[in-house]
Amino acid sequence: MPHPTLQPPEKSASSVHAENEKHIGPASPSVNAVSQEPIEEEQKGSDGDGERPPLPDLSLSQVLEEVDAFLNKLSSSNGSDENNVPMEIPDAIEVLSRTVESVIEKCNYVPGEGKSKCCQINDEDCSSFFDAIDRLSKVTKKLGELSPSPTTSSFLNRTSAVLQRAMLCLEDELRTILENAKGGGGGKVDHHHPPDNNINQKHSKSAAKHSSFNNHNNHHESTDHKPEPEPAGSSEEETFPGISAEAVSKMNKIASAMIHAGYENECCILYSIMRRNTLKSALINLGFEIISIDDLQKMQWESLEGEIASWIGIVRECSTSLFSKERNLCESVFSNHLEIARGLFGNLETAVCVHFLNFAEAAVLTKRSAEKLFKFLDIYEAMRDLGSSISGAEDGADPEEKSLRSEIEEAKAHIGEAAVSMFCELENSIQSDNGRTPVPSGAVHPLTRYTMNYLEYACVYRDTLEQVFRQNCRRAGAGSQPSEGKDEDEASTGRTEFAAQLVRVMELLDANLDMKSRLYRDPSLRYIFLMNNGRYILQKIKGSNEIHEVMGDTWCRRRSSDLRSYHKNYQRETWYRLLQCLSHEGLLVNGKVSKPVLKERFKSFNAMFDDIHKTQSAWVVSDEQLQSELRVSISAVVTPAYRSFLGRFNQYLAPGRQSEKYIKYQSEDIESLIDELFDGNRTSMARRRT
Amino acid sequence: MPATEYQGSFLGRISIRRNQVVSMDGNHEQELEDLEIFQKNISDRFSDLLSDDSSSSSSSSEPFLSIAWVRKLLDVYLCCEAEFKAVLIMGRDPSLISKPPLDRVLPELLDRSVKALDICNAVMHGVDSVRQCQKLAEIAVAALEQRPLGEGQARRAKKALAGLMTALGIDDKDSGSHKSTERAWSFGRRGGCGGGSAAKDRGLGQFRAPSWGVPKNWSAAKQIQSMSSNLVAPRGADSTGLAMPVYIMSIVTVFVMWALMAAIPCQERSGLASHFQVPRQLGWAQAMMSLHEKIGEEWKKKEKKGSGSFVGLLEEMQRMEKVGHSLMDFADGFQYPGEAERLEEAAAQAAELAETCRRMEEGLVPLQQQIREVFHRIVRSRTEVLDVLDQAGKPSAPSV
Repeated sequence: MPHPTLQPPEKSASSVHAENEKHIGPASPSVNAVSQEPIEEEQKGSDGDGERPPLPDLSLSQVLEEVDAFLNKLSSSNGSDENNVPMEIPDAIEVLSRTVESVIEKCNYVPGEGKSKCCQINDEDCSSFFDAIDRLSKVTKKLGELSPSPTTSSFLNRTSAVLQRAMLCLEDELRTILENAKGGGGGKVDHHHPPDNNINQKHSKSAAKHSSFNNHNNHHESTDHKPEPEPAGSSEEETFPGISAEAVSKMNKIASAMIHAGYENECCILYSIMRRNTLKSALINLGFEIISIDDLQKMQWESLEGEIASWIGIVRECSTSLFSKERNLCESVFSNHLEIARGLFGNLETAVCVHFLNFAEAAVLTKRSAEKLFKFLDIYEAMRDLGSSISGAEDGADPEEKSLRSEIEEAKAHIGEAAVSMFCELENSIQSDNGRTPVPSGAVHPLTRYTMNYLEYACVYRDTLEQVFRQNCRRAGAGSQPSEGKDEDEASTGRTEFAAQLVRVMELLDANLDMKSRLYRDPSLRYIFLMNNGRYILQKIKGSNEIHEVMGDTWCRRRSSDLRSYHKNYQRETWYRLLQCLSHEGLLVNGKVSKPVLKERFKSFNAMFDDIHKTQSAWVVSDEQLQSELRVSISAVVTPAYRSFLGRFNQYLAPGRQSEKYIKYQSEDIESLIDELFDGNRTSMARRRT
Repeated sequence: MPATEYQGSFLGRISIRRNQVVSMDGNHEQELEDLEIFQKNISDRFSDLLSDDSSSSSSSSEPFLSIAWVRKLLDVYLCCEAEFKAVLIMGRDPSLISKPPLDRVLPELLDRSVKALDICNAVMHGVDSVRQCQKLAEIAVAALEQRPLGEGQARRAKKALAGLMTALGIDDKDSGSHKSTERAWSFGRRGGCGGGSAAKDRGLGQFRAPSWGVPKNWSAAKQIQSMSSNLVAPRGADSTGLAMPVYIMSIVTVFVMWALMAAIPCQERSGLASHFQVPRQLGWAQAMMSLHEKIGEEWKKKEKKGSGSFVGLLEEMQRMEKVGHSLMDFADGFQYPGEAERLEEAAAQAAELAETCRRMEEGLVPLQQQIREVFHRIVRSRTEVLDVLDQAGKPSAPSV
């Protein structure tokens, strides 16, 4: 009996597959044989309706030609008198059906089950198979449009049954490919070096994007949209998530064929579920875990902090890499149906992002405290990047994507609100710090250290904080009235909302320190305290460009002059009184130096100086520069005065016993004793005495 | 809807008065009146949900437990919630709220609301799986609409329906709902190419949408139980004070979440019918109680029939199951060209299935949006209440 032969279809094979010479999976011989061997009719007797007439011996290209001719005839007669003329259906259609069936059979009986089948057919066979399916879809569609007659109906029954089997086969194939996909970001999180699953990445990066520009109008010609390889881009990143370019192009053909045949739903369900699963396991590999909002509230901050860090890593991975690869994949597989691609990708993206959003919202609900600010700012930044990676898409995006975007905005706003309120917590902790015990020795107060370190750290996030404050201000302003004033304020002072808050914090800190300074009974110590703290603040601000910029030079200059005046006040309080002892006034009685008065002067100088030394060497100035500035300036006032006093009046005291009694110190002693001040050393005096 | 008008005037009433009157003793009577109106509104709204059902035998647009009905339920929740906040905090001196017993019952309410958020999420994902069913049903509808119906399309319909049945949780004997939802979705493996017995190898049990909306061991049943565990009606003097609306709102929240879970696929709900009780003796709770009983009975019926892992009471899903079953029988036995009578019958059923799909298509997205709205509302209210408690806790604390 004569049989049709499937010959390599001359028209498409060479042009389409030229670049695929180095195809990795060599076709298995048994399947390869499909193209050469005649089809044996016995193989597929089951579906037949009894006897079959002998069929003409046609090559596949001849079959396709005949089918095309038939299709043309149908379309031209369409709408005219087709009802009257019973359509004669050519044998070629039956041959076509059998051809497709035979490939299906072959596919099915590949030895070693479990391995994919159609994909082992080499590309040439594959493309002729797709050609055949394409015609079969068209014929089935056309026959369905005809008004039913017994002949057409039974042909329709036949072709649509074969088509159904072919679709199952394609679906199976699609699933196999998708199952073998390795999931985008497999492996552990390493944000800078995304894991590289794809052996063929060099090859694959080419195929992705361009087909979407070229082909979206020709989806009626399902035969020939093999994408042209693009010249390799500079990027070393893989384009698809763990899928080779060959597999992608095969999926593209399958998807086109299925959609063309009206199996869009099957195709989309399969694709979206398989990709969802793959993406899910990729995320799980990255350490993703769903935690209920309830559990998250009960978590200790240390654990929550860890969860947040891991969440941020995963969100980053998605916004920088996973999503764009997934989009590439989707758009390449459905390059002929970009609407579908958009919908599928939008769904997938939403399904993942919903979890991210839930986590962020859950974090917002946890108890707020100033220490959590920085992690929240990290969350905010991750959300912001996620949002912009999504809105990077074209305007005509999927509605689901739009609502996702607004959800992200919403969540971002909540995080921002929380961050602002945490930052403002600082105000509260400053205001509520009103202990009645002064820090001993006038040292830097812990509150000062805490506040300044906090601000220093916060200012690392300055840009984000500015954003957060601006956004929050706008949101708050939308409802209430004083916002306009604020806006004007910002415009006139050139100060951002965040800067204003920072200034507010500094003012509060100042006020608080001023209050604390009044706890010291000794005014000198009060000034030392103010100097210590003021100096600390100023140094911190000068050390951080960000705070410095925000606070401005004027502010810093004012602070410096405050410090100078503390310094002066301190000197006045402590040392001017001492200098009174060295004053010449009152020493001369009737033009002569009064010895008793002189003795009294020396005595009281010694006593006062000892006292000052005793107390103030126990005081603390931890800033070395400030310490030496203080000593130098004290020395500059006291030593010369003492030296000249000593030089002038030394002679009036009898040398020996008397001068030893009253002149306790030489001016060098004074100098070195001054150098012992502010050491926090309580024993120095005692040591000297012994 | 008269309820919303009511609400508008009620909220307006409270806000105007609170702005005028500084808390005085003479206010107490009006407080009582507010509370009464609040209770009456709740009672009216839930009766409304109940009465929808009694007329459903005719042509109500919102059959009991249908998507439209669930959406109405969520509307009711949102209304009650808004009024609750008005009664509780609008224009009120924060210090009143930090007094016992509110200092105890309010944090409990907030706890409950956090748990409700998890249920919202679980239900959101449940709606996703409903949509998956819709898509499968749509395939079957499209296949069965072909004229003349061929064997190929009948097979196609059958496969989609088999998938639908699995997705609905029928013939899913080997596992609890959780495990099967986690299973990979896959259908007709080998079935197509083999065209024969091979189809059974992989089983249709794989036809399940992956759900990973909730943590692995999360259980809707436990969630509801823990929400209702410390729910006690205020007694004595408290029963006329602000503790009452807090209690009422708690009951409303638990009930609405419970009903959502009953209607929409959710992880681990066994024994749902007995998870909590609506208080019997209170007037405002009568309608809610009837609803609770009705849903509970439906649930028990289903639980007895199924293996305990069925999808939910959503009316559309029920219908899908019924029609799907019989269409599957039809498709299974179909041989071209088929009997005219059977064909006609199947066409009618396919039309019913198509109608159900249409209702899902129209209703599911708005339903999800509404669930999300409830989610956000709960979050916002929680923040508002916390703010008030915060204010009360801080500067004015000594003055209390």
